[in-house]
Amino acid sequence: MRVAVERERCVGSGQCELLAPDVFEVDDDGAVRLLQDDPADDGAVRDAVQQCPTGALALLDGD
Amino acid sequence: MTVAPEDVDLSTVDLSDRDWWARPPQERHAALDRLRAERPFAFFAEPDLPGIPAGPGYHAVTRYADLETISSQPGLFCSGRGAVSMQDVPAELHEFYGSLISMDDPRHAKIRRIVSKTFTPRMLERTLDSVRAVVDDVLARARVTAEAHGGVLDVVPDLAAPIPLRVICDMMGVPEEDRSRVLACSNIVLSGGDPDLIEDDDPLTAFLTAGMEMAALMERLAAERLADPREDLTTALVTTEVDGERLTSQEIASFFILLLVAGNETTRNAISQGLLALSEWPEERARWAADPSLDRTAVEEVVRWVSPVTWMRRTATRDGEVGGHRFTAGEKFLLFYNAANRDPAVFADPQRFDVGRDPNPHVGFGSRGPHFCLGAHLARRELQVTFRALFDQLPDLEVTGPPDRLRSSFVNGLKHLPARLTGVR
Repeated sequence: MRVAVERERCVGSGQCELLAPDVFEVDDDGAVRLLQDDPADDGAVRDAVQQCPTGALALLDGD
Repeated sequence: MTVAPEDVDLSTVDLSDRDWWARPPQERHAALDRLRAERPFAFFAEPDLPGIPAGPGYHAVTRYADLETISSQPGLFCSGRGAVSMQDVPAELHEFYGSLISMDDPRHAKIRRIVSKTFTPRMLERTLDSVRAVVDDVLARARVTAEAHGGVLDVVPDLAAPIPLRVICDMMGVPEEDRSRVLACSNIVLSGGDPDLIEDDDPLTAFLTAGMEMAALMERLAAERLADPREDLTTALVTTEVDGERLTSQEIASFFILLLVAGNETTRNAISQGLLALSEWPEERARWAADPSLDRTAVEEVVRWVSPVTWMRRTATRDGEVGGHRFTAGEKFLLFYNAANRDPAVFADPQRFDVGRDPNPHVGFGSRGPHFCLGAHLARRELQVTFRALFDQLPDLEVTGPPDRLRSSFVNGLKHLPARLTGVR
């Protein structure tokens, strides 16, 4: 599945990193980056996207 | 004791009155249930604050959905006019005490990102051992204290207060000899004017003096770390650049105050009132104690149940409508997290303490939006380690008396919680 990241909206709360640590990381600039281009759809990634406090994550069309 | 919502006389409920907040939780929740069901944007006058002119009042937001709508639109509902006081206080004052909490983007985002990396789950994994060491030591000392007093102890000063204080001071690199003053000052700043915690006659003076003392400590520490960097958060704060700029010494001092007060009192009150909840729900205590796989959900339930921060404020930047309520620019909204956390539209059987509750989309760390709790992962870690250690190391801990509640609308706190170790004779 493909995930879009809007780094300007991210405040680095790390909720996604908590839910799917293999897919998301808050980097040294304090904003999220993807660790995988096309992560497996295991539910955790969807939870992370859905629970992002600032709406900085989105599933791309088709996923 | 059960208080049904229909038994509440809403004309006696004043959410601005700190004495009302010291009333038993069942009574408070019954009133919040009524407000949520009947007057979801109930209007209250602001309390008097010496030296500050009374403002127009505020709407108490008690429905989960409305709270989320407001919290997730920071452009329409801003924090920069003050998020931690009902009154409009001078900007310098609320920024000094509120730091990030009372700021809007882009400035908020800029400062938050300097520190957000330090508080991510991955980074905190490294602090797990030090949190465990702090908790083990505090529990061992509590046992010694209890043994010297026939088994008797006070959960708040003996267990709940020292754990987060030592964790956050370790992270910041605060020297041992300064820590008791840090505790005293953070008590005053978050006392909500509770006279028990303020020896001074004038709460505002005491509040300002405590803030200045913490700022002075931070300035000293910042200067030391600039000259001699170490592996602590203070060093990161003084050396990190954002867009080629470093934080000013005032920004650093304010952030330090935010971490100390927000990182101390909230976790302290989650520990003390988590223990209180477990004493009131013994079958839930037995269930959690026997099953470490419940640590994750149980800690979330403690945060939902306690809601350590009762509210944050937002102020409308323009006219609009939310949840059927039309408002004009400048109207104030207090987001009552404790009320949203018991909203039956979201939580099944919300007045039940359920350590296995899942999903549990509580707003104890804030709702959607850029101000979501920076310390959420640290708090979760501290609470998981603390409760597991309590079950293992103080299994005979028993709450023996009613708590002495903080008289504050803002912080849901306990001053004392009598307990004993039943194994001590």
